[in-house]
Amino acid sequence: MSELFPRKQIMGFVFSLSLTAVALAVYFLHLSFAIGMFVLVVTAFAQALLQLVVFMHAGETKDKWIIYGKVYFMITVALVTILGTLLIFLWDM
Amino acid sequence: MKIDHSLPLEYSTKQNDQNIFGFWVFLAAEIMLFATLFTSYFTLEHRVGNGPSGSEIFEITPVLIETLVLLTSSFTIGLGIHAMRIGKQKAMLTFFAITLVLGLGFLGFEIDEFITYIHEGATLQTSAFTAILMMTLGTHGAHVTFGLFWGAGIVMQIKKRGLTPETTNKSFIFSLYWHFLDVVWIFIFSFIYLKGMM
Repeated sequence: MSELFPRKQIMGFVFSLSLTAVALAVYFLHLSFAIGMFVLVVTAFAQALLQLVVFMHAGETKDKWIIYGKVYFMITVALVTILGTLLIFLWDM
Repeated sequence: MKIDHSLPLEYSTKQNDQNIFGFWVFLAAEIMLFATLFTSYFTLEHRVGNGPSGSEIFEITPVLIETLVLLTSSFTIGLGIHAMRIGKQKAMLTFFAITLVLGLGFLGFEIDEFITYIHEGATLQTSAFTAILMMTLGTHGAHVTFGLFWGAGIVMQIKKRGLTPETTNKSFIFSLYWHFLDVVWIFIFSFIYLKGMM
């Protein structure tokens, strides 16, 4: 039975629940916008990285660096798209 | 067909290896799809017109339940893939079934949330904010719905054919899709809901 519940996955799950709990702090504690956003950015990206490494097995084959490279490149393009748009439309620059 | 026994079954043929690689290319494109939705959301979230704002319609309880349900389903499908790799077909199917039931539960809560919004006067036509909110949540929900049919198909196929290089490959790819949807939800949870209620 215990062979069906590997330690790595259980730790991953516990860690992902903890990250959710930390993110909830922005709702229950009255943090400033800047600190709140900082907490959310850190917990969301940590959560994404956790899924990628622990659950999606991104690093286990010889394609490892191509997969990571591709995902990180797309995340960069995504962030440039989002932040670039905000820069033009919302932050009035 | 050349089978390499040093690798897990789902990677064991050249075709399998390429299928998994190809799916990562697809997921990279999906990151961009959701990025454009987030871009539009952040641009339009304050354009509420005469309709309600996020802080007026978001409720923490259903959102938290949806998050926990989806995180758990991501964990159970991870266990399913682990069971598949050690050749435990029955355990794998059980974990996959639990995952799909949790996915269905998630969808139920999301549909209920949409109905609540519409009752509160936040429809797709109310304001730029409600339109992009529903588009973003709806795109994610549509992915989950598609995943339920896909997952059910895989469960049926494994019941019929057992764990072969093909069926394990399909299952692994499906697990990648499911984890990806969980990641997208985490960003929705953090930057749409929690940010909106902050």
